[in-house]
Amino acid sequence: MIRVKELNKQFGDNHVLKNINLDFANGHVYGIVGENGAGKTTLFRCIAGLEDYQGTVSAECSPLKNHLGLLLPEPFFFARITGKEYIRLLCHGRGINVRDVERRNIFDLPLDQYASTYSTGMKKKLALTAILLQENKYYILDEPFNGVDIQSNIILTEIINKLRALNKIVIVSSHIFSTLSDTCDEIHLLRKGEQIKTVQQQDFKSLEAEMKANTIGIKIDQLDLK
Amino acid sequence: MKSYFLLQHKMAARRLDELGIPPVVGYVLGAGSFILVSEYLFYRTEFAKYVVILAALSLLAKTSETNRTEFLKTVFDRNKFRNIRIAENGLICLPFCVLLLYHRALPEAILLLTGGVFLSGFTLKSNRSHALPTPFYHRPFEFPVGFRNTVYLLPLPYVLTAIGLSVDNLNLGMFAMLLVFLIALTYYAKPENQYFVWTYSTTPAGFIFEKLKTATLYAALLAAPIVVSLILFYPQHTGIILLLGLAGLAFLWTMVLAKYAAYPNELNLPEGILMAFCIYFPPFLLVLIPFFYSKSIKKLHAFLK
Repeated sequence: MIRVKELNKQFGDNHVLKNINLDFANGHVYGIVGENGAGKTTLFRCIAGLEDYQGTVSAECSPLKNHLGLLLPEPFFFARITGKEYIRLLCHGRGINVRDVERRNIFDLPLDQYASTYSTGMKKKLALTAILLQENKYYILDEPFNGVDIQSNIILTEIINKLRALNKIVIVSSHIFSTLSDTCDEIHLLRKGEQIKTVQQQDFKSLEAEMKANTIGIKIDQLDLK
Repeated sequence: MKSYFLLQHKMAARRLDELGIPPVVGYVLGAGSFILVSEYLFYRTEFAKYVVILAALSLLAKTSETNRTEFLKTVFDRNKFRNIRIAENGLICLPFCVLLLYHRALPEAILLLTGGVFLSGFTLKSNRSHALPTPFYHRPFEFPVGFRNTVYLLPLPYVLTAIGLSVDNLNLGMFAMLLVFLIALTYYAKPENQYFVWTYSTTPAGFIFEKLKTATLYAALLAAPIVVSLILFYPQHTGIILLLGLAGLAFLWTMVLAKYAAYPNELNLPEGILMAFCIYFPPFLLVLIPFFYSKSIKKLHAFLK
């Protein structure tokens, strides 16, 4: 269980998260959606403890950060570190002596090459592999489907389902609604730092329709396309 | 071409600003440090001119990196690109050549300048498909990354040791040993991305202990061939050799602690001044190490709760 209570975050005068209250239960997958700048990444960084905030974030495994696998939208890599060394570094941080890296390299990454030479999708797959091998209890996947090929997206969806079956908590953000509707039990909608609504699986279709209507509105007509 | 170099100047000034150093002060300090270090080098060893050439070549190698030169090629036409590359390599070689000339090493100065101009026509292509293997596989990242970054410089201390032993010069051997630690210090010069600190499931003290353990283990591994051969050739000086090795380690620990004392910012002027003072008065390390330790614990509390 992770509980976010009355979480507020400000950057100077900019109030980027306003009174967020969320409960995440074990064995469930949660989606966080919102436009660019809605506060999704900031929320994730607050939960991870990478940002200071007002309010509380608590979890049954404490401190939460020691049990959290965090996939950032743009993972950072050192200039001359191989894929295998990156995995080893992240596992070492959690006191795990990782074995069988080759067998567990399910995305077939060239682990002996420098990670900085990987493509965007490969970098994301490497970062994901590393946090999976950390054996975390909780996962925050910020835009995991972005830049990843279709085959790997299929694998990623199955990984998320497997994590749910293993009673982990998975929190995902994505700009591709179908990836969330395929994986999530519940979706939280953020707008300008506010928690607008929470939607259960049976209502995903109506949420998508509502988001479409709100987002598109008459904008396409304003283009006067000819 | 002028606008390119003005932009380079602006970028350097901004970088100094970020470090909290006024650009003019930074340039003066840089020039002063260059003179002091090189004078010390020429005072310590007759092979200083080769160290100077190697240092210049390692800087030149940085300007010839693939990404950099490919970017310049896309921005400038062929003639301008060639002129810029010759000019920047010439500018890099200039202070080193002046230094060599001052120490009456005319052939070496000419060789360096010619080599610099010649190298401007080449792009250093890294082998993208194969990473350079290192003996530091088990504990990424500082040593594997640092080893690969300084691979051209690393043979130097071992060569100097061999020369020192062949001409029966213990001082040169000990200088070479300190050079290993000096190279290892550079591995800790820049702060890593916060994610790589955050990911550790340990306390700040545990984190620092791990970092110091890795630094000690791997630096000792790098220095071991030199230490062992010096002891074998000069058993009567075992005490001073080991003491100097310990001093090298103490400087390395100070560097690791200084890095996290400034974290997540880069090492700043105050840390630099304190460390520089230790070179002249090493006992000050006994004060500086606990000071940096307590400061780094405080800084790391923000990331390791």
